[in-house]
Amino acid sequence: MTYSGRNKFEIGRFSGEDDNHINKKLPKELLLKILSYLDVVSLCRCAQVSKLWNILALDGSNWQRIDLFEFQRDVEGPVIENISQRCGGFLRQLSLRGCESIADGSMKTLAQSCPNIEDLNLNKCKKITDQTCQALGRRCSKLQRINLDSCPSITDISLKALADGCSLLTHVNVSWCQSITENGVEALARECPKLRSFICRGCKNVNDKAVSCLATYCPNLEVLNVQGCDSLSDDSISRLGPAMRRLCVSGCTRLTDASLSALAARCPELVTLELALCSQLTDAGFQALAKSCRLLERMDLEECVLITDSTLVHLAMGCPRLEKLTLSHCELITDYGIKQLSMSPCAAEHLTVLGLDNCPLVTDDALEHLTSCHNLQLIELYDCQLVTRNAIRKLRNHLPNIKVHAYFAPVTPPVAGGAARPRYCRCCNII
Amino acid sequence: MPNIKLQSSDNEVFAVDIEIAKCSVTIKTMLEDLGVDDEEEEVVPLPNVNSAILKKVIQWATYHKDDPPLPEDDENKEKRTDDISSWDADFLKVDQGTLFELILAANYLDIKGLLDVTCKTVANMIKGKTPDEIRKTFNIKNDFTAAEEDQVRKENEWCEEK
Repeated sequence: MTYSGRNKFEIGRFSGEDDNHINKKLPKELLLKILSYLDVVSLCRCAQVSKLWNILALDGSNWQRIDLFEFQRDVEGPVIENISQRCGGFLRQLSLRGCESIADGSMKTLAQSCPNIEDLNLNKCKKITDQTCQALGRRCSKLQRINLDSCPSITDISLKALADGCSLLTHVNVSWCQSITENGVEALARECPKLRSFICRGCKNVNDKAVSCLATYCPNLEVLNVQGCDSLSDDSISRLGPAMRRLCVSGCTRLTDASLSALAARCPELVTLELALCSQLTDAGFQALAKSCRLLERMDLEECVLITDSTLVHLAMGCPRLEKLTLSHCELITDYGIKQLSMSPCAAEHLTVLGLDNCPLVTDDALEHLTSCHNLQLIELYDCQLVTRNAIRKLRNHLPNIKVHAYFAPVTPPVAGGAARPRYCRCCNII
Repeated sequence: MPNIKLQSSDNEVFAVDIEIAKCSVTIKTMLEDLGVDDEEEEVVPLPNVNSAILKKVIQWATYHKDDPPLPEDDENKEKRTDDISSWDADFLKVDQGTLFELILAANYLDIKGLLDVTCKTVANMIKGKTPDEIRKTFNIKNDFTAAEEDQVRKENEWCEEK
């Protein structure tokens, strides 16, 4: 009696536990779903738990997309080699952003072991050279997206190797790879007709020929960022095609109204247009633009110093979706322009960010007009000398959630210049 | 709001607002296939869910009835587990058996939001633990031989801090 009772208790206890045991309760596909939320380190630990968990943790489905940015220490070669081996053909997406110790040797191993990779982020992998891209070009023909932002040793040889081997490329970022020239870009444009996004911020040698090749050979190009490619002229920008949606030509100081007219005529789908420092642009250009690019949502016009209220009148009438507008250092803008903007269809519905810093003619009246922009979340007012604290307080009363960036000098201003101001408005620096 | 009746595996019947019940794709499809008229008092049998769990599921669905529809799983999106709302976290402070039952029910009833948040909760019970701590957490038996254990440790030590 005692014996059987104890036995029963024990069986009961164990079977009770067993019924609720994770391995018994959940089928393999649900255990895999749980593991799909785990990072590389946790997966490697799960692999050591038991035989079943080893199989589950090493399942190829867990090794398709890997981001090592959050890895607990600087990632070195052996980690990449282990990942290459473990993931093999399963690996489709890998981010090594900021893994500065990674060199060509491990990237060659990766290219050999993981031929199915589609998306590779090497942003700030400063040690890698053209040899990495040559290996990728030879082995990884399915590559669609590559980010080489801030890999300073990358040259045209990389772009040629990728052009030769990876004709499916849709997204390429070679920002700050300052050795890139028109030769590399031409090779890429010719061999990769599916290209949708090309970003080469700070590549001073990317010139009109390069951009013309992209315009000619890549009809699907939607995103182009040539910020700081200051040799570019109206010639190449005028060739961009109807697929263009997001364009950044900030710092391309040679551009004139001819570029704006051409964009108006050829790129009606533009959503984002960044034109900071394009100081030759005038109201006439923006009049043409606003008439046909009615989908514009984000515009950066910082230091387009010639524009006046007339530009705002045209944007207010032509661009009902305008969401973010930066007018920093547009020194001719007055309260009248802001009033027109605030009465436009975009103002009440969409306008969320407005940069008016260093617009010296803007006064308290402008802020009063802006009280009708119910969605306004951020307004930049640095160095707007005619705007008072009182007006900002009133604006806040109407729009309680608004963030106001302003700076009021102490009553006795210091002798040296004021606080440093960020060069670009962060909120509007989109692509 | 019209109700429908859901019957658990142990034959308890729950009257539920039809819109709330439809957060389960399984029930929604069933109603569409049957062409159930809103006027009728229909009883939907759910043989895979007991009353205790069904009660929890209805409680969850009622709280979340006005949530916007979840976006399709984006393969490229980073999978996060630190985005569980405090209400959900409290709701899921249950024993492991109940938690696993909820996962099974969410899977069977096809309620994506509940399935995601329950699986994330289990993932969070794994994260940051050593293999031995994981075994203890889920009462998993280490069935490796000493030699095998040594080998899997070597195979996976590259991910550990040196």
